[in-house]
Amino acid sequence: MSTTRTILICSGKGGVGKTTTTANLGIALARQGAKTVVLDADFGLRNLDLLLGLENRIVYTAQEVLAETCRLEQALVKHKQEPNLALLPAGNPRMLEWLKPKDMQAIVALLERQFDYVLIDCPAGIEDGFKNAAAAAREAVVITTPEVAAVRDADRVIGLLNTKGVQPVQLVLNRVRPKMMSNQEMLSVDDVTDILALPLLGLVFEDEQVIVSTNRGEPLTLSDSSSPAAQAYGNIAQRLQGEDIPLMDPSQARRGLRARMRKLMQTRIF
Amino acid sequence: MTLRLPDQRLDHWRDRLPDLLNRYSQPIVDLDCGDWMLNCSDLADLCAAVTEAGHQLGRITSRVPETIVSASALGLDASRSNTPSNTEDRPNPAVTGPSDLLFHHGTLRSGDHLQSDRSILLFGDVNPGARISSTADVLVWGRLRGVAHAGCEGSTTAKIVALQLRPLQLRIADVVARGPDDLPQVGLAEQAQLKDGVIAIEPAVIQSLQKR
Ligand SMILES: Nc1ncnc2c1ncn2[C@@H]1O[C@H](COP(=O)(O)OP(=O)(O)OP(=O)(O)O)[C@@H](O)[C@H]1O
Ligand SMILES: [Mg+2]
Repeated sequence: MSTTRTILICSGKGGVGKTTTTANLGIALARQGAKTVVLDADFGLRNLDLLLGLENRIVYTAQEVLAETCRLEQALVKHKQEPNLALLPAGNPRMLEWLKPKDMQAIVALLERQFDYVLIDCPAGIEDGFKNAAAAAREAVVITTPEVAAVRDADRVIGLLNTKGVQPVQLVLNRVRPKMMSNQEMLSVDDVTDILALPLLGLVFEDEQVIVSTNRGEPLTLSDSSSPAAQAYGNIAQRLQGEDIPLMDPSQARRGLRARMRKLMQTRIF
Repeated sequence: MTLRLPDQRLDHWRDRLPDLLNRYSQPIVDLDCGDWMLNCSDLADLCAAVTEAGHQLGRITSRVPETIVSASALGLDASRSNTPSNTEDRPNPAVTGPSDLLFHHGTLRSGDHLQSDRSILLFGDVNPGARISSTADVLVWGRLRGVAHAGCEGSTTAKIVALQLRPLQLRIADVVARGPDDLPQVGLAEQAQLKDGVIAIEPAVIQSLQKR
């Protein structure tokens, strides 16, 4: 039995941060020394390569590997700065029909021979794309934002994962805005975990730096950025590795800010 | 030869299956699920048990549409069976006890729909986006936050009971009500019943958990 952890990154609803999480988690795990491969199973709208800044290095895909027109090593794209991380595009965007559950299982079986982590970036939805991507997953991380529709779709996906025996299924709550949460303009962390009833692997705050880094093709976790999202992804990677890192508390984040403000004001008074 | 799951009123299939499989001699098991309403994870368990016993699963027949749908969803060869119902020859329709109650363990998540022509006792939550409906009563040993329909074939005496009643929508017979906006009291089971044609919610009384 392989000890590789093959983890599906999925959400149900589109645009909640699956690809961003896959890229950042991939880098963070690699930086922590784990041999990691990210597999772009959302190849109809492939953009994991973009986020990782590897778009121009792709020559082959898993499709050619399985057709035996190239070796796995040729299709794997090693990350420029982080040698522990590789990207494998699942397929060519124009060949939507080819990837079936058995293909996915065959690819993952190959990857599990040489990697500690296989992260699968799943397409949105619960149709064939999702089912194929999920076919080889042992564990899953469900991404949601604190919005009613995203939580509803995440719940649906969790139900499907349960019937497939994927275990454990953990939760990442993305785009948390502490201020909106404390003003009760947004679902709270408890509201979300109350419905989804999953262990919370991490909270990622809404952070402009995510967008900046996405556009640059350099995931936040690549540098020692002190931005809240970069720290959050680092923490999530550590928790995946079994370390006990306390969760960020959105209300504390605010209090921290307010305390700092108060200090500033006091300095001015004196 | 077809392997028939036991009569629901007598035994749970999970208890009897290992023994039934042991006594089954052919390599391919054609399974008659009778009146059992099986969801995807039940069927996955069934498949696993069959394989584990060294057999291979062949055709599945059932008289319950939900079971056929779940089986098809898992890619199994499923069709409607024409064997007589276990329950149609029910000696006395007034008989009480577990036979007119469907037990279901586990939370219904968004998109799930649990349906029965018996009263349902669910151990778990009904999440927003999930539905539970019964021709008789709906009893939720957990939080009801989705849509519940009791008496869905017109019984106006049917009721809905939940440990925490905070549904999106309640229906009894053909009366529809939106869920209450205010939070329910913690630790107080509530029930919904038709009173003068409207759905009224009140604290559940112990007696209401027993059959009428
Ligand atoms: N924590 C965050 N803070 C700010 N912006 C974010 C955050 N997470 C994701 N985003 C932004 O949200 C957008 C969608 O993210 P992403 O592409 O990762 O989602 P996805 O779930 O992969 O989408 P799709 O379903 O289309 O594949 C991107 O523009 C990304 O930069
Ligand atoms: Mg994506």
